[in-house]
Amino acid sequence: MEKIPSLQFEKEPIDKNSVRFILSNSRSAFANAWRRAMISEVPSFAIEDVRVYDNTSPLFDEILAHRLGLIPLTTGGDNNYLSRAECSCNNEGCEKCTVTLTMSVEGPLLACSKNLISHDPDVQPADPDIPIIKLASDQKVVVEARAILDYGKRHTKWQPTTVCGYKNYPSISIDARCDGCGQCVEECPCGILEISKRKVRVIEDKLDKCALCRLCEKICMNSGIGDMPAIHISTEEDRFIFNVEGCGSVSTEEIMKQGLMFLKREADSLSNEIRALL
Amino acid sequence: MAGSSYKCARCKQKVEIDVNVRCPFCGHRILFKERGAAIKEIKAR
Repeated sequence: MEKIPSLQFEKEPIDKNSVRFILSNSRSAFANAWRRAMISEVPSFAIEDVRVYDNTSPLFDEILAHRLGLIPLTTGGDNNYLSRAECSCNNEGCEKCTVTLTMSVEGPLLACSKNLISHDPDVQPADPDIPIIKLASDQKVVVEARAILDYGKRHTKWQPTTVCGYKNYPSISIDARCDGCGQCVEECPCGILEISKRKVRVIEDKLDKCALCRLCEKICMNSGIGDMPAIHISTEEDRFIFNVEGCGSVSTEEIMKQGLMFLKREADSLSNEIRALL
Repeated sequence: MAGSSYKCARCKQKVEIDVNVRCPFCGHRILFKERGAAIKEIKAR
């Protein structure tokens, strides 16, 4: 019988927008599908249309609009917004699918994302201090921006993740031929090896820090030990270390959950299609 | 050139260009093109 996949979270998360966890008893196909779903199939808000009423700043309207588009906007998991494609307004933009943000600033000032005033308090810039434009005196910018819900597969600005990746769980074995010369300990860029009782071993709880670079194997070979190194780096094929970092628009739990929900929806629709064929 | 207005860089007066690029009030030859009043709609991409 196949083992049930399980998750194990790191005890102390680095910050509220990033999470590191171990996925066990799974397969690389599933791990990669989940990674791709988290990046490109989780909806989030981003500014899409910009109306420029006035711009006497040194930046062109297009550059200003592009900068506005890349600002992450908070997107709660329980919001009732629809994406433009699902909405009945025919791409016109209505209150069911669009959030309007306005910015009216006059120099001298460094206009930041906090100067963007949203008409929905739930959809705000994720960080108040993202610089948009620096204005000198007598320079003025008045814009109205319309944010819509969409997916990372359409454009990077709708990606809820910044870093989202995984690696196989490392497995290090040191055989009896190790003479404790310590060259691999010095060579390891992650500092996970140590010498104990004239033998090399992995420092406790540091195994998952291994970058799988195999520099230790190489230096061991160069030390003249023979045809095979005494230290072997391999990976566990059914265990993965995930690193998911959000940009603040969607919480990391929500990214993970919605990625899985997307996979389930896709799998269900595939099984329905197959059933219809039979 | 109908409709496009310029502003003299020295005397800040509004200038219409006909033949010469030169301010008729102060003779300065650097003119700024003024931004039109139309609202510009662009995609944030």
